Amino acid sequence: MSKDDTRLQDISKPLNEQLVKIRFEDLMPLPAPFKGPEDEPPLTDPKPDWKKDYVTELDGYIGIDMPMPKNGVEEKELVQKFLNGLKKLLSENNNWEFLQPLMLSFEYCAQCQTCSDACPVYLSSGKKEIYRPTYRAEIVRRIIKKYLTKSGKIFGKFVGADIELNANTVLRLAEDAYRCTLCRRCAQRCPIGVDNGLITHEIRKLFSAELGIAPKPLHELGTVQHLEKGSSTGLTPEGFADIIEFIEDDIEEKIGKRIKIPVDEKGADILLIHNAGEYLSWPENPAAFAILFEEAGLSWTLSSEMVGYDGVNYGVWYDDVQLARVALKHAEIARKLDVNKIVIGECGHAHKAITIIADRVFHDEYNIPRESCLTLLWDLYRKGRFNLDPDKNDFPVTLHDPCNVVRLMGIVEPQRKILRAIAPQFREMSPNGVYNYCCGGGSGFAIMQSMNFPEFRNKLSARMKVKQVLEAFSDCISPDINKYFCLPCSNCKGATRDAFVHYGIWDKCRIIYSGLVELMVNAMVDLEEPFVEWEWH
Amino acid sequence: MAISLLQLSSYVAFAIFIVAVLAKWRKWSSMPIHLRWELYPVPHEKGRSEYGGSYYEEPDWWTKPRETTLAGELKDMLAEMLFIKRAFEYKRDLWIVTYPFHLGIYLILAWLALLFVGGLTEAYAGLSIQSTHPWSQLIYYLTLLTGSLGIILGTLGCIGTLIVRFVDTGMRKWSTPLHYFNLLFIFVVFILGAYAWLTVDNNFSTARAYMTSLVSFGSTDLPQLNGVLTAHVILLELLFVYIPFTKMSHFVGKYFTFHKVYWDDEPNLRGSHIEDKVREVLKYRVDWAAPHYVPGMTWAEEATCVEPWGEKKEACEVK
Repeated sequence: MSKDDTRLQDISKPLNEQLVKIRFEDLMPLPAPFKGPEDEPPLTDPKPDWKKDYVTELDGYIGIDMPMPKNGVEEKELVQKFLNGLKKLLSENNNWEFLQPLMLSFEYCAQCQTCSDACPVYLSSGKKEIYRPTYRAEIVRRIIKKYLTKSGKIFGKFVGADIELNANTVLRLAEDAYRCTLCRRCAQRCPIGVDNGLITHEIRKLFSAELGIAPKPLHELGTVQHLEKGSSTGLTPEGFADIIEFIEDDIEEKIGKRIKIPVDEKGADILLIHNAGEYLSWPENPAAFAILFEEAGLSWTLSSEMVGYDGVNYGVWYDDVQLARVALKHAEIARKLDVNKIVIGECGHAHKAITIIADRVFHDEYNIPRESCLTLLWDLYRKGRFNLDPDKNDFPVTLHDPCNVVRLMGIVEPQRKILRAIAPQFREMSPNGVYNYCCGGGSGFAIMQSMNFPEFRNKLSARMKVKQVLEAFSDCISPDINKYFCLPCSNCKGATRDAFVHYGIWDKCRIIYSGLVELMVNAMVDLEEPFVEWEWH
Repeated sequence: MAISLLQLSSYVAFAIFIVAVLAKWRKWSSMPIHLRWELYPVPHEKGRSEYGGSYYEEPDWWTKPRETTLAGELKDMLAEMLFIKRAFEYKRDLWIVTYPFHLGIYLILAWLALLFVGGLTEAYAGLSIQSTHPWSQLIYYLTLLTGSLGIILGTLGCIGTLIVRFVDTGMRKWSTPLHYFNLLFIFVVFILGAYAWLTVDNNFSTARAYMTSLVSFGSTDLPQLNGVLTAHVILLELLFVYIPFTKMSHFVGKYFTFHKVYWDDEPNLRGSHIEDKVREVLKYRVDWAAPHYVPGMTWAEEATCVEPWGEKKEACEVK
């Protein structure tokens, strides 16, 4: 492993220098069947022409795929705007949303670094300093100290007021805010309760809300497109109607029975909201929900209204007001449909966004109960509403815990209880539950596909999860045995799909990834043919 | 008898400490409600905290009473306060030194409390702590025990913490001179205390006599303090004044980070006091400058009456 001499102050270095370069020998090794560099794609350098418009001078990767101001006058404006934003971030009116947790985290970090080894990116990188959970947090803390406090002005470096705020600092910091998956595993370890994940979230908010800087997949093609066109995928209401018809046909073909998927059924008990990515990439997931809900005899509906058929809320990763705009739209649709509750499909961040984070945005008629599909499915299972045969799932299965559902929401057991009941060869990965590792696609990484960002995700943020999966199946890693990686979260599936392709997991190990409901339907006694298809797609 | 300058400085230092800690508490507790940001395991989740579960595992959770347990919170709190559990589990090489350091501080606080009790006993009950009365004996030996152990553990722990901060690459690179100053400050107080204990005040009778003079507000004799003891008292006073204004006041912040952030899972139910607070914060005026904001509108207006790209909607009902 190469020595990393990067210091906090290096963030301000001129932009002709890349702070960190990832080398293969630094990366955390992967278990069998991986033996060395020859078993995985090589690391690449950023293309020289990217440097003109984008910030490659952190680690060579580009998370923010919008042109950045990198010349004279604009740079001064950038620094001033950053400072203005920082002041607003620390003000009650602009940031009541997280002022107290943020200030607490700024005030009390003792730099003990107990959190560092919790971070999968830091560990996967071979412990590169810029990925330490404390790195970006401490930079902002010291900028505040130097530019916004009297003690910093009087005592200077003695109290840590030693980060030069220039355009290089701002630009590199913006990129570094997109090197953390916001999984908050680091926060679990802090003896004082300092939350570096939150500080990263808040840095992202500062850049978005004051400077208008955010990755396009999150903002322009994310929340803006979601609210403007109906879905962050670009799926329109017309397209949604076509897909529902396709899914109904597909269900009929698979189970020999046509199910009418309820859409816009006013007065239904449940409004089910899926991540729209499911309709486009994994339609078998909403199909499986329809089959199970039909079997259980539930009163439920989907919405075909713009925004209502896409449960994602990318605002949760970078901008509270954008989050609220999407969440309130979801609530409004539920109110108009007069449902008793919103049930969130297999999407982790959608769970957290509408249930936890937006909980203190809703009030009065918009404050409609929200429930996890995992809780509902377990309840239906234990009440005997499904006729399932576990022998149909007699293959090795392991489970991923989406951070947003488990560590950040406390839904741990329902999905496990189902798996223990329907999958005889279910085994836990380690660590699991609330101490799990992120899939690597958290905080928007799963959908950030510009330039070389996928390489960062596959090599660094998803590497730990790939390692965990391989270890969970170490007793049956041979490609002769089909194995099932259960991922009850769309974004986790997206990140895993890309990582599995990157590492050639299907060919090397015959592991497929899919949701929980697919596995449940696969176990249905009435089904003549398996629902799970053992092929890569 | 008149109150000496040294005694006066002790009262002032203690008063500043109390007022500053209360002010800090007030600062944190008067901040507006924030969005939920809990982190599991949440130890008050009855029957679920062991594996990190929450009430969201309960079907139709909003129709059922929340089951919480204070014992769960106390267990987690005490494990962290008394044993620094997270450092033990996740950074053992730091824990080995920071635990005795913190334990030393706790014991010195207990020692100060025992000196205070001893002082009250001597000043107002007329009972000498060096007498054979059972109460006196109890206070005498407890004072001796906590003081001796506190000085030893605190001094060694402080040295160890300084060394680890310097030797551990991550900690050294991220530490400011202030981190070292704070530790050195505490070390000097400890080492002066240790020197005084070993040389002139083996059974803490001088320390108790000084405390007695304080609690009696000058009506008992001020003991003769040599240069070392005087310096120790003054530095201890300065430390008390200094701590609330530094990271070392994390004993205050820690309550809020855990109870008001990590463990704050109180749902916003219809008609609840949380809902009232939400209505209030949604009235805050926002002046973010990015294109998708309209500066000067309330938070609720920003969320409902502005198009996602920043244009104000022509007609809009604020939600």
